Amino acid sequence: MNRATIRPLLGKLGGLLLTLFLASVVIFAALQLTGDPIAAITGGVRPTPELIETIRAQYHLDDPIWLQYLRWLGGIVTGDLGTSFVYKTPVVDLIAPRIGITVLLVLYTVVLIVVFGIGSGILAARRGGATDKAVLVATSVGVALPTFVVAILLIWLFGRELGWFPVYGAGEGLLDNLYHLTLPAISLSVLYIAYLSRITRGAVVAQLGSEHVDTARVRGIPSEQIFRRHVFLNASPQVLSISGATIAGLFAISAIAEVAFGIGGLGSLLTEAAARKDLPVVQVISLMLVALFVVVNAVVDVIIAAIDPDSAKPRRNA
Amino acid sequence: MSVAQLAGGRVPRVARRAAQREWLFIVAAVVLLGIVVMALFGPLLAPYDPDQLFVGPSNGAVSASHIMGTDDLGRDIFSRVLSGAAASVFAPVVVVVLSGVLGATLAVVAAWFGGWVDGVSNRIIDVIFAIPGLVLAILAVAMFGKGLVAPVLALSIAYLPIVSRLVRGGARAELGKPYMAALRIQGVSSGAIAFRHLVPALLPMIIAQSTIGFGYAMLDLAAISFLGLGAQPPASDWGVMISAGQASLLTGAPEQSVFPALLVVVTVLAVNILGARVTAWAEGKDS
Amino acid sequence: MSDLVLELDHLSIAAPAPLAAPGAGPRTIVHDVTLQVSAGESVGLVGESGSGKTLSVRSVAGLLPAGFTTTGAIRVEGHDLAQLPKAELRRLRATRIGMVFQTPRAHLNPLRTIGDFMTEALIAVAKERPDAARRRAVDLLAEVGIPDPERRMRQRPAELSGGLLQRVMIAATLAMDPPILLADEITTALDVTTQEEVMAVIADLRKHRDLTLLFITHDLALAGAVCDRVAVMQHGRVVETLNAATMRQDATDPYTKRLLSASLPGEVSAERPTDAADPVLVVQSLRKVFSVLSPKGRREEFVAVDDVGFRLEPGGSLGIVGESGSGKSTTARVICGLEAADAGTVLVKGEDWTKAARGTKARRHRARIAQMVFQDPYQSLDRRQTVRECLSEAVAVHRPRASRVELTARVDELLTAVTLDLDLAGQRPRSLSGGQRQRVAIARALAADPEILVLDEAVSALDVTTQVEILTLLDRIRRETGVALLMISHDLTTVRRVCDQVVVMKSGRVIEQGPIADVLDDPRADYTRTLLDSIPREGWVPRRRIPTRTASLPAVATRATRIIPAESVAPESIPRRGEKT
Repeated sequence: MNRATIRPLLGKLGGLLLTLFLASVVIFAALQLTGDPIAAITGGVRPTPELIETIRAQYHLDDPIWLQYLRWLGGIVTGDLGTSFVYKTPVVDLIAPRIGITVLLVLYTVVLIVVFGIGSGILAARRGGATDKAVLVATSVGVALPTFVVAILLIWLFGRELGWFPVYGAGEGLLDNLYHLTLPAISLSVLYIAYLSRITRGAVVAQLGSEHVDTARVRGIPSEQIFRRHVFLNASPQVLSISGATIAGLFAISAIAEVAFGIGGLGSLLTEAAARKDLPVVQVISLMLVALFVVVNAVVDVIIAAIDPDSAKPRRNA
Repeated sequence: MSVAQLAGGRVPRVARRAAQREWLFIVAAVVLLGIVVMALFGPLLAPYDPDQLFVGPSNGAVSASHIMGTDDLGRDIFSRVLSGAAASVFAPVVVVVLSGVLGATLAVVAAWFGGWVDGVSNRIIDVIFAIPGLVLAILAVAMFGKGLVAPVLALSIAYLPIVSRLVRGGARAELGKPYMAALRIQGVSSGAIAFRHLVPALLPMIIAQSTIGFGYAMLDLAAISFLGLGAQPPASDWGVMISAGQASLLTGAPEQSVFPALLVVVTVLAVNILGARVTAWAEGKDS
Repeated sequence: MSDLVLELDHLSIAAPAPLAAPGAGPRTIVHDVTLQVSAGESVGLVGESGSGKTLSVRSVAGLLPAGFTTTGAIRVEGHDLAQLPKAELRRLRATRIGMVFQTPRAHLNPLRTIGDFMTEALIAVAKERPDAARRRAVDLLAEVGIPDPERRMRQRPAELSGGLLQRVMIAATLAMDPPILLADEITTALDVTTQEEVMAVIADLRKHRDLTLLFITHDLALAGAVCDRVAVMQHGRVVETLNAATMRQDATDPYTKRLLSASLPGEVSAERPTDAADPVLVVQSLRKVFSVLSPKGRREEFVAVDDVGFRLEPGGSLGIVGESGSGKSTTARVICGLEAADAGTVLVKGEDWTKAARGTKARRHRARIAQMVFQDPYQSLDRRQTVRECLSEAVAVHRPRASRVELTARVDELLTAVTLDLDLAGQRPRSLSGGQRQRVAIARALAADPEILVLDEAVSALDVTTQVEILTLLDRIRRETGVALLMISHDLTTVRRVCDQVVVMKSGRVIEQGPIADVLDDPRADYTRTLLDSIPREGWVPRRRIPTRTASLPAVATRATRIIPAESVAPESIPRRGEKT
């Protein structure tokens, strides 16, 4: 990558940081202004006025909102994520033990999505005919199969009928973790495999019909080489950008699989915290998910720019 | 969070080719008609009171008197599915209409005025896009409490970027065409250009996007109910029923979860087929 | 092996039945085409859009779209392509046939470097070692006159101009030393001066390499100038095959004659005495600057129009001529208020139009005076409106109180003025031909009874025979209504037919202006002369204006000899018009 590519990328990075900052303001302000922290902290016990005052002082609820925000942001930067209203323990202690299993689940899912999604898409595009039709039917159904539906089908099938895989919990140790996460990962991946498969097929078919591929054919380049150097390479930016957005979004939707399969990860913690209005936990996890989303997308943008330098350049405003 | 947010909700070419199959389209249309009838008249058609406990055995199998069986509390699953249809079907409609109207308006205004208006609108859209839909819905629940209202509003906002980016692109392309310049040179008023030429040119695109968006909104809302943050029991929203039936799955009584799940899948499939058809129509208008 | 290297023998090509009507069966697009090309010969295949010329040549290269079928035979060096085994066929096409396309940018992989492209076939097909392939690629780039080939090898297609890319395509094709070169509209997308350069390269190569050339083009004059024989196609059939040198005398088919007359430089329109009347349009020291992104990603200023001035008499007709990037269209857009000028003035009937009109009322006022017709007639009509809706809207703007009957009458009048059948009023643009669409656009412009009609490349997207019809129509309208024409064009022949004054522009500046006969018949500026010399005509020999190494090549080279020039230093790089360096 030369300077011409890096300069617009830096501009984009600046935009991402601004987006992240604005998102953090939205997340903090929205919850702080509308939530009723006292009720969440006292857990439904009717508080005395003295207690309310103590709580307001303890959580700095009487400070102006911007000061609260700065204190919150400063805390996050220095590693102090605040204290849970419900558990009364530091948010760090809630998040730290749960983060690993969510990351593992997401990675497992990503592997499934990339291998089967891109693989089946390429297969359908190159083979055509009956293979293409079969993949078309499978992916048509696949894009209508959300995580929670696949999850209950798998729980029924494996938990009751087959029993090959565990349907509850995350297990102990890496191998046992992976064994436990198999069904959750499948349930998370089905819809995205179908979707990525279609995107890949579409991108590959478009390239197969493109004029520069015609040129390569006329020149007698072997078809395997045409596919590698001209078709797949040129289809990859589109496939990558969809893959990136998928991976970035998985950290959030893993909540569904975590809840369905009883896995104590970030997603299930976030869901529970939201249900109990545990604002500090909701704020921190939401911000983490947004940051992950932004960072993963940024990384993908950089990879795409390495393949296609023009992608980084802003469009000329006419 | 959803596929909807990945690629502007566009339907890949394969699906469009499928839409050319006439019989598939007819089946999809009939299925959707059935779903709409359920949503409109569900409670009238229900053979039992959906909330009445033990009208049959606990976790009863499919039978002549209970065509979808009964749930763990002995309620008739078919009656519950019918009564829950309205919320399950109309909530996504609200999401689609709200996000469609807001998103399209924002997009047209941004494309028309350009400059800083476009810049600000882009920044707003970028921020919304950076917050995954599910996270936004969970934030909304944390703000306003459980129930359908908060997730519906949150998803309406979460879907804004999809509609808005698509329509803004379309509007800019349209405004860049020579016929727009020709209209200005003819002295046609701005209002007439906007409402007689620009908006009608964009409508097919917006309608196609809304059709596709409905399927995604339905899945997302059902997911939120499944997490226990949306509609609350004893409401018989399909997502809630799927979640409530999870315990019975392991005891060999999948009916309570499987039938509503099947309905969700069939509805979304039918909408996708219809959406592919509408998209093909919209693109035909475009060429 | 016979002397014939390429033979189309009663070739017919059929398109698959349309998806919408599967019962209709395949549609034959090319009918029974027979064409024989001998070794070393150059044959032109000429026709307008839809004549089937491109399909015919693509069938030779094996590039027909999916579902297309052929009957008859295609023979290359005596081998019937249909009879050859697959691997053999691929080898034959890779080594014996080279093909160059109309749009080099689309035909090169945008993500790979020129070097990758040049060496790929050498390594994969000819099994050369990468470093040898590289050296040869650099030599080939130099041979087709690409300055600084070493640097070009590292660049991607986006960094090269269209003219350079077309040379890259040619060079890459030559890498395999194919005896047959198929050239499909290879200069259509290029400026005339660039076209001449590319044609000069082709002519040199033919001389040195003994190439057989099948040259597809819509431009009969060009084909006549560079080919030995010319086959004219219309509606999928070859109507006539002529000896290029004598085609003007020999042509018997009426269609060929029409094409020939369309490509003749028209009579200079009789100059009208310039009455003392005030000019309807005066442009003075106009300047327009765009902010663009440099290749390094910085914002830079691009001066599109610089110190441009001219005047247009009432009822006069002024042509602005220039190649791409000359600023001619920007000038027109500023005059019509579609772009804001950065300096200078635009005076229309004494009013200052320098600033774009603000508000509907001001725009309406200007609409009665100046109207515009655009290049792409399809894009310049709203595809959802019927012809009548479109014209009624244009009329109603200026006659808000007109009754339905009055509107109908006025629309009919406009349709008649542009010689459009009234039956077409109910049609939408999609079902009209290019010429009909452009007539609608002209009728719409006339709805306001303007005093100035700005024509921005208004005929360049049309077939040559249609161009002549539209130009004749415009000339007639000018005489009948007294509207002044401001005609923007890259084509001197077009301007010559209609205009009595001409402004020649290059890189945003006016090079020369004056009465059309003076400027075109006795140009004072070198650039104008270059433009005129680049127009293909009888006895035209394309010349290279940049010295290249081909000049130093051995005069005779056979198919077997690989031409590897002795020196490997690139020729002096000379900055050239319209090309990025």
